[in-house]
Amino acid sequence: MDTTACGVARILANRQLAWGGWSFTGSQQTSIEATCLSALGLAWHEEASTALAIRYLVDSQRADGGWPAFAGDQEACWTTSLALCTLTAVNDASDARERALNWLLSQRGKEGHWFWRWKFKTVDRNVRFNPDKYGWPWCPGAGSWVIPTAFSVVAIKQFSVCSRSDESEKRIQLGVEMLADRACVSGGWNSGNSVVYGVPLPPHVEATAVALLALQDEPRSKIVHASVNWLESRAVEIDAVSSLSWCILTLFVYQRRFEELKRRLAAVVGDGSAIRNNATLATAVLALRCGEMIHPFMVLQ
Amino acid sequence: MTNDRRRFLGAAAGAVVTTGAAVHQLRPKHFVNYRRPRSLVAVLTCDSYSEKIEELLLDGLKLFSLDVREKSVVLKPNLVEDLPGPVNTNPVLIGAAARCFLRLGASRVVIGEGPGHQRDTELVLDAAGLQHVLRGSRVQFVDLNRDEVLTVRLKAHYSGLRELWLPRAVLSSDMIVSMPKVKTHHWAGVTLSLKNMFGIVPGMKYGWPKNLLHWAGIHESILDICATVPIHFVIADGITAMEGNGPLQGSPRDLGKMVLADDPVAADATCARLMGLEPTRVKHIRMAGDFLGNLDERAIEMVGDRMPEPSRPFAVLPVFSYLVRRSS
Repeated sequence: MDTTACGVARILANRQLAWGGWSFTGSQQTSIEATCLSALGLAWHEEASTALAIRYLVDSQRADGGWPAFAGDQEACWTTSLALCTLTAVNDASDARERALNWLLSQRGKEGHWFWRWKFKTVDRNVRFNPDKYGWPWCPGAGSWVIPTAFSVVAIKQFSVCSRSDESEKRIQLGVEMLADRACVSGGWNSGNSVVYGVPLPPHVEATAVALLALQDEPRSKIVHASVNWLESRAVEIDAVSSLSWCILTLFVYQRRFEELKRRLAAVVGDGSAIRNNATLATAVLALRCGEMIHPFMVLQ
Repeated sequence: MTNDRRRFLGAAAGAVVTTGAAVHQLRPKHFVNYRRPRSLVAVLTCDSYSEKIEELLLDGLKLFSLDVREKSVVLKPNLVEDLPGPVNTNPVLIGAAARCFLRLGASRVVIGEGPGHQRDTELVLDAAGLQHVLRGSRVQFVDLNRDEVLTVRLKAHYSGLRELWLPRAVLSSDMIVSMPKVKTHHWAGVTLSLKNMFGIVPGMKYGWPKNLLHWAGIHESILDICATVPIHFVIADGITAMEGNGPLQGSPRDLGKMVLADDPVAADATCARLMGLEPTRVKHIRMAGDFLGNLDERAIEMVGDRMPEPSRPFAVLPVFSYLVRRSS
């Protein structure tokens, strides 16, 4: 790991809460997203921090197998997919991963219910999408959106790579089809509304990067090519740390040039102390280490 | 005998359903009432986002008997996307407002926003030009999508949500200033100071977009949020507004107005009238007029410039053509 990444990782490690988690921005409220990304960012380099974080994650899993968004929340949500990716990356041997998978398989976007499918096919057609292609919501009771669906697809693919059940296969397929259905007209993804009132909406960097991670082992369709090209061209324009980091993580997987982006990210991040958001800092560590470690969102074929 | 029993059971079930529906309708939907006898609104003419805006705004604020001394103030602008056009509240106005409240004696001014679609808040701040305003100032930005949150029982029950997790930065402040961009909105008709409060709901719990609120009803959720976290003052950015397919894909509309108000309903009603739209036809503004503020023009006292008539109504999507005022 180069010196920039080492220094930033040390700042991240110093921000770990006593019980093993990380908050988003300096409070005592543990965020599961920040904790997962930080644990991944520090894995294999800050062993004590990582071990404490993994123990916290396993202990904070809910009885239903899911994880909440933050400590104190009583409802499991999309962070379960990120927790599953994290536990898979460190090869956690507890039954937490199996329970997380079962929770993910039990969840679906609200439009997956026959009544809402019927409504979106007949009455409410302002947003162009096929409700038969559903994925995962951010939280129970909401519709499917791109980022939680993409992380769920990655998590299930990674965990079930050696033995995949019919149910896992079906949900992966449905998730992949949902992502294809929600892609923006000329490539890329936004939160999940590609066309509203007949007008195409533009893509977002992070949603595009994460969606492409979910599709990395799928056939390279026209929309995937267009999306990678869009991401590559957009990456050179942005200085926002989180988006730039996700660009690097995805362009690496698609074997596009990323070294110059890494240099720019290192310059923007500096010593990392000015970045208050720990999830962003952790993503930056992952991106700065990209190519020098096992990619935590890589799907083996 | 069997038929009689069936008829009785059917009638009983019908009575239970009818009674339940009636009880549901009669049950109070809100537990607060922020309406005062009179509300003050100032419509200030301002053609551009220049340095002069701070003095103009300060003069405008002095028309209200605002006491912000030693108070912590949260400015809640509308920062949505990293898109071109008048999508976001202009950073020059946000910076001017922050400095004005500090000049009026506020102990602390925080700019807080939780963008509803774009997860990378830094990207939105870069695109909106707010980073430049924040640099070297005493004003801090809080990402409301990722601030520490507390669970709060809602003070109105239109959405059926009962409670929400809301950010500490908002809950612990003394004064909330909603700073919307004056825009049409493809789901709500318009997005003004009340709709702007969607941005205090944390994405880390409810996602991007905050879709649970859409399923619970956009208008209903707006009412519940604004009943629970009252808006104390409004500074609406109508200098360059947006018409047509807002809030993201609409066209710029040079309205040349800033709207200041001590009542969000009066502010939104006035903005809608400036847009050539009928506020009573916007569901959440009409319902907010029952308990969140004054909708009736007779209860709104104009200070500063006289209320101007729009040269032409704002363009709206066909589905919202009923909002256009007949007299316009």
